[in-house]
Amino acid sequence: MSQPENKKSLVSFFWTWGILTVVGVVISLWAPGRFMPRSMSNNMHLSILTIQIFSVAAAPIAAGIYAAALHNIRHDRWRGGGVPPAAEPIRGNTAFVSTWLIVSSVLTVFLLVWGLGALAVDNASTGKNPLVVDVTGQQWLWTFHYAGTNVSTTQLVLPEGREVEFQITSKDVTHGFWIAQMAVQVDANDGVSTEIHTTPDKLGVFDIRCTQFCGLNHASMVTQGRVVSSQDFQKWLTSQPATI
Amino acid sequence: MGRSRSVVVALVSIVLGGAVLALAGFALASTTPHQTALSCVSAGSGSCDLHFSVFPDALAGEHGSGGGPHPDWVSYSNDNLVVPANTVVHVTIDQYDSGGSLNNSYLGNVIGTVGGTATVDGKTVTHVDPNNVGHTFTLRGIPGNGSPILVSVPLPADNNSGTPVTLGDGSYAKPVVITFTFKTGSKGVYEWNCEYPCGGSRQGQFGEAMSTFGYMSGTLTVR
Repeated sequence: MSQPENKKSLVSFFWTWGILTVVGVVISLWAPGRFMPRSMSNNMHLSILTIQIFSVAAAPIAAGIYAAALHNIRHDRWRGGGVPPAAEPIRGNTAFVSTWLIVSSVLTVFLLVWGLGALAVDNASTGKNPLVVDVTGQQWLWTFHYAGTNVSTTQLVLPEGREVEFQITSKDVTHGFWIAQMAVQVDANDGVSTEIHTTPDKLGVFDIRCTQFCGLNHASMVTQGRVVSSQDFQKWLTSQPATI
Repeated sequence: MGRSRSVVVALVSIVLGGAVLALAGFALASTTPHQTALSCVSAGSGSCDLHFSVFPDALAGEHGSGGGPHPDWVSYSNDNLVVPANTVVHVTIDQYDSGGSLNNSYLGNVIGTVGGTATVDGKTVTHVDPNNVGHTFTLRGIPGNGSPILVSVPLPADNNSGTPVTLGDGSYAKPVVITFTFKTGSKGVYEWNCEYPCGGSRQGQFGEAMSTFGYMSGTLTVR
């Protein structure tokens, strides 16, 4: 390939890279909020933001790979007959390799720091009078006990704006407690109580599912819960019959 | 020409592969054991009676001569219950099995019945001792659509002794008789199962009879 042809080819590559990057960034910012479950808690807001940040950071890298593939298909495809001759050996390019290593390292460290920070924030307790709910998974249903009361039920009702502390355990095999709209997902293990926090901040219905295949009626371990106002929550709690 | 042939071969492979998978699915579905339906017997003016049993083995009930492939598995007498829509259903269950402790004492409560009660040998109860339960009859809602449990009634353990009665190929002591009433809603196929860990040692005692349709689980079809 001649010098001008080579330059033209590189310009074409960078244009493709740039366009695909812009497309990737737009999709990264738009898709998580559009296709993930409706956010109903601080954890879910953070999860969606984290996915957006990670996707935006990954967009130019993915775009570079696709652009290189498209570039090669267009410019370097063998159009002759028979077996193509061996390509010219690739020689080292110190500036390119250094830039690649530095950018990759900075990006990786950034994602690591963000991820650890998000994990710490995600499960941090505010310590402000949390509502403690004991969650019990068993084959094949969830039951919820409100600590300090005689109320146990198969339907989870939570007050808006108050931190909830879930104490999650299992009576038999391993189950997975997942509230889709609140980014709460943790295994329920027999003999172990796992603590996780969230603060519901939207009224409405949410879905609870088991995320560990746990036997014949695993598919039936699906239920719904509600986030209601504080007043409605108190009314609901006092209206519940005491259970053994 | 070669390229067209490759495309045709690929398409035919995909169609044949799909057909094989579909046939396998139909074959598996058709081998799922379904017992003879036990229909609710009309008791006049919008109500009906449903009477079945639960045994410590499969020698009585719908498993056939000798108890079928697993004669030693605990079993309900019927797994295929049929009731009318928007009807009051009076249920009677004869419980012939011994028992122990529920995994979760919550299931010792009577849930979802008319009045929130059941009777055990004629005595009205809202709950039973969760450490003396033989089985439960737990009817589930449609997953993800309202309450996960529509009806759940604990069946106390049968601690009776005395002259055994012969039923099918088995003989059993006098049963504990549990009755309760619930109202059916709209048409649909609902699942029920036992929540007492009675399925052998596997899967937290929820294996074998607890993990095979036709023993400790079944369907309730609302027509």
